[in-house]
Amino acid sequence: MIGVSHYLAVGAILFGLGLVGFLTRRNLIVMFLSAEMMLQGVALNFVAFSRHHGNMHGQVFTLFVIAVAACEAGIALALFLALYRRKRSLDVSLWQDLREAGIDEARDDEPLPAEPKEEPLPTLPPAGTLPARAEERQYV
Amino acid sequence: MFDVTYLLPLVVLCPLLGAVLCAAFGEVKELRRFAHWPALVFAALSCVCAVTAAVNVPDYQPRLATAPLSYITFPYQETGADRIDWFAVTTGSGSRLRVELSLTADNLSGVMLLGVTFIGFWIVVFSVGYMKGSPGFPRYFAVVSLFLASMTLLVLADNFILMFAGWEGVGLCSYLLVGYWHHKPSAADAARKAFLVTRLGDVGLILGIGMLWYMQQTFADLTDHSNALDYTVAFHYARQMADQNPAMFTAACLLIFLGCVGKSAQFPLYVWLPDAMEGPTPVSALIHAATMVTAGVYLLARCTPLVALVPGVQVTVACVGAATAFIAGFIALTQTDLKRVLAYSTVSQLGFMFLAVGSGGGGVLQTVAVTAAIFHLFTHAFFKAVLFLSAGSVMHAMHDHIDMRDFSGLRKVLPVTHLTFLCGAVALAGVPIFSGFWSKDMVLEAALRAGESPRFGPVYMVLFGVALVTALMTAFYTFRAYFRTFWGELRMPEGAHPHETWTMNVPLIVLAVGAVAVGVVAEPFTHWFSHYLGAAPILKASDGGRVAEHHLNWPLMGGSAAVALAGVGLAYYLYVVKPAAPAKLASGMGSPYYLSLNRLYMDEIYNVLFVQPLTLLAGLCKLIEAVVFDLVRLVASVPRYLGDVVLRPLQNGLVQFYALAMVMGVAAFVGYLVLFAK
Repeated sequence: MIGVSHYLAVGAILFGLGLVGFLTRRNLIVMFLSAEMMLQGVALNFVAFSRHHGNMHGQVFTLFVIAVAACEAGIALALFLALYRRKRSLDVSLWQDLREAGIDEARDDEPLPAEPKEEPLPTLPPAGTLPARAEERQYV
Repeated sequence: MFDVTYLLPLVVLCPLLGAVLCAAFGEVKELRRFAHWPALVFAALSCVCAVTAAVNVPDYQPRLATAPLSYITFPYQETGADRIDWFAVTTGSGSRLRVELSLTADNLSGVMLLGVTFIGFWIVVFSVGYMKGSPGFPRYFAVVSLFLASMTLLVLADNFILMFAGWEGVGLCSYLLVGYWHHKPSAADAARKAFLVTRLGDVGLILGIGMLWYMQQTFADLTDHSNALDYTVAFHYARQMADQNPAMFTAACLLIFLGCVGKSAQFPLYVWLPDAMEGPTPVSALIHAATMVTAGVYLLARCTPLVALVPGVQVTVACVGAATAFIAGFIALTQTDLKRVLAYSTVSQLGFMFLAVGSGGGGVLQTVAVTAAIFHLFTHAFFKAVLFLSAGSVMHAMHDHIDMRDFSGLRKVLPVTHLTFLCGAVALAGVPIFSGFWSKDMVLEAALRAGESPRFGPVYMVLFGVALVTALMTAFYTFRAYFRTFWGELRMPEGAHPHETWTMNVPLIVLAVGAVAVGVVAEPFTHWFSHYLGAAPILKASDGGRVAEHHLNWPLMGGSAAVALAGVGLAYYLYVVKPAAPAKLASGMGSPYYLSLNRLYMDEIYNVLFVQPLTLLAGLCKLIEAVVFDLVRLVASVPRYLGDVVLRPLQNGLVQFYALAMVMGVAAFVGYLVLFAK
């Protein structure tokens, strides 16, 4: 028989995985996913207790959690986009500017492996005559 | 209807407005060149108001039956409605002190007003030429104007507290003007010295005023409207106070006298006045010769109804005066700085005035004593002002050199200054028919008459002798300065370009005419001055109805004329006939010469007695403060250090570090709940 403790154990495992992921990964999107995972762990707890107590309180909370998580996703991804545009990277450790004046920047002794260079997209060979205007020639 | 009463506030407010306008003009670049005009115009207005008020004083009927000692007051005192309260104090025992902004004029204030505003106006005119091109030109005229306002307030105040406000106001202006060239260390030091030494006397004055108030609290019939520190009320209760609490009454009189000693540069507090000559010369003429330093004499004269009840205090006043006159005259004999000679002579002449005021203790009518003092004050204001302004003119021409060893024979290049200085000198020396002769004669006569008193007679006879010797010294040092400056061969320091301008000459001539004529016109044959001043209600009340008779003491006059001429003749012999003689005489004299040259070592003695111990004390305080300060700093630095070492590194700006801290906090909290919470 699957009891409430099983659900709780799964919720705790989800929460713990999310927590460890949030604390250790430096990619902003992965961190965000980890945070979502913690939320789901908590949501699972709510549902489990709702079932256990036989009322709807936990389910209502869960709906709220999902709604809030959705909003969060919207805002967080927009923010990440903006941050990415500034630094061309999703590394969270690049954003340390709010530290106390006079404290040295935290440096990573084991930097991330260099991202593999993107292969250029295949382009079609040019056809026809060269365009007359100089600014159009860059697209050839 | 035109009412003289309304002139009194105008006399005070005109220069005050002038001061504000001068300062305002100084702030506007285009008007800076005209910054002297407000001072000039409002000094003239104030002078006109003051003269009108002073002339009208005798015709004015007392306005209030309950205040028979005052004459004109502003605002009216018939009802309480018009009165302007300044502040009120209620003590724990329920006694109330209301201090009002009210002004009063009687014959005594009238005389003072004439001197202050008339001479003040001419000195402002002189300053226009003298201060031309000086940086801080507007500041000078603003402060001089403020000084005139304070001085007239001092003279016109109707109660001790308001008088004290004016008293401190003139002290402040004196400080500001002595230190006018504040970038010069000697001027800044002199200003501080003047301020601190006079402050010593002022502490006494305010204590004396406090004692008067304390003694009057016991009188039940004081109402809310009869202020315990109004002159009229204080004088009304003088007799009762003296009977009830003689020791305290004497102490109060002595403390008020101490204030006068400080302000009027009497022994032992005279040391600030010679140093005050660091200020611009017109200031020396206005503040440190003609007006402010005479405030002490004025206050003693004003307090006659109080002081007359304690003859012991008056004898003290006379002794201090005579001692000061002698000491300062002795020092003036050998000084080579022209302004210092005049400064010591001012101290000496103020001593004469105190001697005259104090002679009331020897049974002389208070009217006679005060008239002699105030008459000498009046004539002295004229001739000392003209002497100082002439010295200023010399200084202006000699490129700021004032040491008599640097120049001589200036009578050819500075003809007007020479003549005006001569007018002042003959008046100061007491040469017959010039004004100083008549006033000094009145002082000597007052002292001589006091010598007939059975109780203090011998004391006054000694003082009279001292005064006579001082008169001889006065004539000698005055003409020593005159001959050394204006006679002999023409010598000038480098860079001097002797010139005289009309803005400086006109005041010199006006005041010189005053110095020559005011004495003979006002007193010896017409008795205008003593009739005018003798009608003052405070003097009449102090004498209890006895009236002074006017007569001329011919033997005394002959003696004093002989003394003055002897002094002049001696100076002529030593400095014109045999110019080599003074040096020989000086080396022959030995210690008295050096005593005089080094100003009796008074500054050195004060230095050892007061300045050094205080410096030591200050050093000790500094040490203690340093220890305490460092201790406090040590304690205060602990939190800062902890914060630096522990808390600052925590704020490293890493998002995940903050998240970890949060998780650890939650873990600790949950751990506590799980393990320990019941």
